[in-house]
Amino acid sequence: MSARMATARPSSYRHKSEKRGMTYNIMLVGQSGLGRRTFLNTLCERAVIASPDAPNPETANVADPMKFDTYEVAMEEEGTRISLTVIDTPGFGDGLDNTSCFKQLQDYIEAQFDEVLVEESRVKRNRRYRDHRIHVLVYFIAPTGHSLRELDIELIRRLGEYVNIIPVIGRADSFTVEELDAFRSNVMRDMLYYKLPVYNFCWDETDSEALAENREIMEHIPFSVVTCDEVYDNEYGS
Amino acid sequence: MSATEASGKPQASAGGIGIANLPNQLHKIVTKKGTNFSLMVVGESGTGKTTFINTLLTTELIEPLDDATRRKKQLDKTVDINIHKAELEEKMFSVKLNVVDTPGFGDYVDNNDCWLPVVDFIENQYEQYLRQEQQPVRKGIVDMRVHACLYFIRPNGHTLKPLDVRAMKAIGARVNLIPVIAKADTLSPTALRQFKKRVMDVIDAQSIRIYQPPVESDDDHSTQRNQDIISAVPFAIIGSTQEVKTEDGRRVKGRQYPWGVAEVENDQHCDFKKLRSLLIRTHMLDLISTTEESHYDKYRTTQMKTRKFGEPKPKKSENKKFREEEEALRKRFTEKVKLEENRFRQWEQKLIAERDRLNKDLEQEHNLVKQLESEIEAISNAGSPNNKFFRK
Repeated sequence: MSARMATARPSSYRHKSEKRGMTYNIMLVGQSGLGRRTFLNTLCERAVIASPDAPNPETANVADPMKFDTYEVAMEEEGTRISLTVIDTPGFGDGLDNTSCFKQLQDYIEAQFDEVLVEESRVKRNRRYRDHRIHVLVYFIAPTGHSLRELDIELIRRLGEYVNIIPVIGRADSFTVEELDAFRSNVMRDMLYYKLPVYNFCWDETDSEALAENREIMEHIPFSVVTCDEVYDNEYGS
Repeated sequence: MSATEASGKPQASAGGIGIANLPNQLHKIVTKKGTNFSLMVVGESGTGKTTFINTLLTTELIEPLDDATRRKKQLDKTVDINIHKAELEEKMFSVKLNVVDTPGFGDYVDNNDCWLPVVDFIENQYEQYLRQEQQPVRKGIVDMRVHACLYFIRPNGHTLKPLDVRAMKAIGARVNLIPVIAKADTLSPTALRQFKKRVMDVIDAQSIRIYQPPVESDDDHSTQRNQDIISAVPFAIIGSTQEVKTEDGRRVKGRQYPWGVAEVENDQHCDFKKLRSLLIRTHMLDLISTTEESHYDKYRTTQMKTRKFGEPKPKKSENKKFREEEEALRKRFTEKVKLEENRFRQWEQKLIAERDRLNKDLEQEHNLVKQLESEIEAISNAGSPNNKFFRK
């Protein structure tokens, strides 16, 4: 989260954004138990999302519907201010029939686009308008050890047209080193096979220095993530 | 026999009559016959079912799928039933083992009713056995009744998913269900304990029937062991067929992480040994007998109340996919029939028109003939040599 992020932009924009603070909207999507909440807490280095209450065993046979929870975090580092908005989607993929989840996500993202369109088309625009469009969607893949599942494929295929998707392997500590490599190459093969639209880090072909760096980043897709809420004294902690 | 009837307690004479030798005879018979054990594994793909079976039997019974088959399966949207048969022999005692695998369970976007093929399979085995028992010749019965079903729960750290709850309810009512927490090494010990407790809470709250092994036994050692086993439900397991080296130099079956080794046979790491003991060492007989006595009997009673002896089971195809195909086929069939009927109708019309036309022609000819006849008559009546009439 350092100022390196803004190198590709013209300096006047950087100056302006430094003063005002950039808005950055991230959406976290994935089944429950893959570490979305912990990922966010680790990223922001503090407990943004609290632990959920103990689930009620009486209602365990009925799935919770998908919700959109918005969390706003103001972060500052080396003079750069970012007002980060994170949208969490608990309930995604947890029910018996999950075909409606895609439509809900699509509707939500389109609603943000519509809002911006309406605002842009106004004669008199609001100077302090907050842009709620999702800049990046972090999708958590379950560590099955084999390859992508139908849910993963469908989600990336449908939403890749609307938003930048970065695939991430959640709970990667359930793999040994060899298994992780094997799983990662399986996922990459599946992505090529199904032609899934993930975010291409190498969008700027002209800047050779950034290109080399970006190519290296792309080799790590899908990123494997291990996050933790608590600090232990010894080594044993996931 | 009269000695026992008279006093209630067998009065053994000095040498005994030899009843005490019966267990040895039974042992010999059973050892010769061997036994038949069917185990079913149910769970989402990637939970470690194949690895667990291979670890349990210390042999690669089920081969992992390769990419091409897996890709085809991903978009198949059906749950398959695969049966792997093996014959195990240890110290002259042989077991015919059947392992039933269920690829495709819970893997899709829409998982409604994905447990139906599993439940149907279980009931079909009971049905097969029932029918075979009712045959005049009962030799060589094939018994594929499932004696134990392991349900693999994905350790998401929170609680059971609705899919797990509904599937376990349906399965547990028909067979000995043993819930198992897969890939237990992804959770820390405290998280694992909490997860186990949450799972048991849900099982109790939702009235899911799971297998309860008998606790009380003849000696204290067995009772203690049974209690240990019961308190560990649901069993947290790790599967691995590879041998790795631990920090203190031992070679064990386990998984090697950068931070250490998770051992399969270490009771502090997972419950694999307890589960293996439950399945094979200590409670296999109980699993088999509860299946045959209570589960099968329940099925038999309900079926015999509604059906006559020897009648086949009424088929109910509840599979949605089959229903859709059936509808499509039926539609095509009715359309074809309609087409053919139209064709025949048109043909009929044509024939009728043709017939009418021919009839008309016939009538015309008939009239003509009549006319000529009347002329002839007139001529023959008149009899005059006048040529006028001929020139008509």
